[in-house]
Amino acid sequence: MPASTALLNRLRDVAVARPRAKPIRFVIAALAVAVVAALQAAIFGSSAPWFLYTPAVVLLTLFLGRGPGVVATILSAIGAALILARGDEPLRLTPAQWGASAIFLVTTFGLVALIEALRTALLDADPLREERERALRAAAEREAFLSGVLTSSTDCIKVLDLDGRLTFMSEGGQRVMELSDFNAVAACPWPDFWQGAGNAEAVAALDAARQGTASSFIGQADTFLGTPKWWHVAVSPIAGPDGRPARILSVSRDITDLRASEEERDRFVQLAEKSTDFVGMAHPDGRVFYMNDAARDLVGLTGADVTEQAIADFFPPEQVERIAREVLPAVQRDGHWAGELTFRHFNTGELIPVLYSVFPLTDATGALVGYGTVTRDFRERRRAEDAMRLMNGELAHRLKNVLAVVQSIAQQTLRTAADTRTASHDLSARLVALGAATDLLTGNSWRSADLRAVATRALAPHAEIGKRILLDGPTVTLKPEVTVAFALALHELATNAAKYGALSNDLGTVTLNWSVEGEGDDATLLICWRETGGPPVALPERKGFGTVLIERSLRSYFRGCVETHYRSDGLVFEMEARLGDAAVDG
Amino acid sequence: MGQSTPIGSNTILIVEGEALVRFDILAFFEERGWRVFEAEDADQATAVLDRRADIRVVLIDATISGRVDGLKLAHYVRERFPPTLLFVVSGGAPVPQEALPQRATFLPKPFDLHRVLRQIEESPVTS
Repeated sequence: MPASTALLNRLRDVAVARPRAKPIRFVIAALAVAVVAALQAAIFGSSAPWFLYTPAVVLLTLFLGRGPGVVATILSAIGAALILARGDEPLRLTPAQWGASAIFLVTTFGLVALIEALRTALLDADPLREERERALRAAAEREAFLSGVLTSSTDCIKVLDLDGRLTFMSEGGQRVMELSDFNAVAACPWPDFWQGAGNAEAVAALDAARQGTASSFIGQADTFLGTPKWWHVAVSPIAGPDGRPARILSVSRDITDLRASEEERDRFVQLAEKSTDFVGMAHPDGRVFYMNDAARDLVGLTGADVTEQAIADFFPPEQVERIAREVLPAVQRDGHWAGELTFRHFNTGELIPVLYSVFPLTDATGALVGYGTVTRDFRERRRAEDAMRLMNGELAHRLKNVLAVVQSIAQQTLRTAADTRTASHDLSARLVALGAATDLLTGNSWRSADLRAVATRALAPHAEIGKRILLDGPTVTLKPEVTVAFALALHELATNAAKYGALSNDLGTVTLNWSVEGEGDDATLLICWRETGGPPVALPERKGFGTVLIERSLRSYFRGCVETHYRSDGLVFEMEARLGDAAVDG
Repeated sequence: MGQSTPIGSNTILIVEGEALVRFDILAFFEERGWRVFEAEDADQATAVLDRRADIRVVLIDATISGRVDGLKLAHYVRERFPPTLLFVVSGGAPVPQEALPQRATFLPKPFDLHRVLRQIEESPVTS
């Protein structure tokens, strides 16, 4: 503050700030004039009668106001006149003295008026100045506020000219854009910062802003350090003095994290939508509000408005009560329920076994807002279970039949054996043959067995296949019903050959030939067991159990003709059967 | 066996598709002096029954193949020849009593022939 202003302020404070009561002011004015008059008389006498009054009036007017000033002027004129006049004739003044007094009065009144004006100006200047200071302070505060907002905002706030060039970027904006110096990008075209579809969006938003319309878009742009980010951008016009867009405001918000969480949520949505399991959600009152495609397809609601359905509509009546009584209370109590239930197809009414799993859906406060379910179509599983049960039954059936066969073979062996030692030996060997045949059948799910494999397994314990026993024939796949009997018969033939025939010495051989003659339903399977090189053959006195078993069982199982020729050069056993009775696939 | 029975009363028909099993049953009864007839299926069985009026016991495997299964054959036998002693055997699931003809005995396979014989001997001879 300059020294003159300081002086003026002090002056004002003395003159104006502390106004005194009116009578006091007039008394002070009168006393002051009296003092001046005394000084005037003492110092100057009558030589300069108005000299000291003028400054006194000026000061009095300045400090005490116009009234006291006027009074002081009049008193001064009187005082001067008293000095001019001689003591005995106070009103005897010369015409020149009268004139001078009048001029004094006029000029001093003028001075009083001037001083009063100055005083008023001083008084008025004070509130004006205060107001201006207040306004300045307010403006500074507002500016600090706005710049604080701009600085603190994590949005990137930019001002562009009408050509879309950057003219301003907020400090906070420079931070999120990882920009250290705005001058590096000042006047750069703003749309160039956008990649891909964002660029076209930015250009369109600028066009709209130039037309006076605000718009927004979502786009991808890298920061100046190259960090890829997603932004939500609001572009709006800034009106100039004429009301038309003069500049353009662009506010970009970093939504990268939001977008990432949206993408994550989107993946969860896909998880539900694309699941091949039934995924559904319902309100707490049971009204459905979501079903994925698999769910709609399962129950026949493809393309239908699922919100018309309630949980109970999915189940047959007898299960609805169970849902209300058991399932939903368990969900609220335990937070989960899973079990086997049955859906009912909405169109066909088909009952669909499902593994139903249901759980509560809650909001952020944990309050129940609905139920969710992930339910699995259990038809395949049920079918598999049924098949398994069937298979188990079948297995038990086969097992019992095999046991019955074992029982009968054991009985017949014991019945015909000469002694228990022989019986034990024969029975063991027969059970081994039976086991081998069973092995082949179980290896093929009891559907069939290859003739060569059956022969190999049955005969291998007796002699070397390919050397003493020769196998020759096409591929024939035997039915399971005939396989066991065929294996046993071969076993008996080989046993007899080892006892009495071609396998009883070191030279003989056995040839097992089989062939198929004819085609289609007339096709015939011919099997021939021929022994050569053994000792001379004699007709047996009594057919043993083995021989009987061979002929009778093969006749029965193959429904064929069976003949045993006891030729002197070796035993020949022949069987002829319809291929269809013996083999699968014709 | 010890009791005095009319001629022909010890006659049995075995209806069993599994020949290896059938042979054993046949041999068992033959050894004990029975007249034994055998059949692989219902057709053969009815042919025997039509020919032989003196068959006292019929043992049927419920799982025989053919047009008529063993259980139906058993019912047929019961109706046609009411006094016959009936045994139904099976390696499959047990046949419930209500599915069996009256006075028929079900035996799961494998079964004990001695027990069958004992039961036959203890039954009153009605023909």
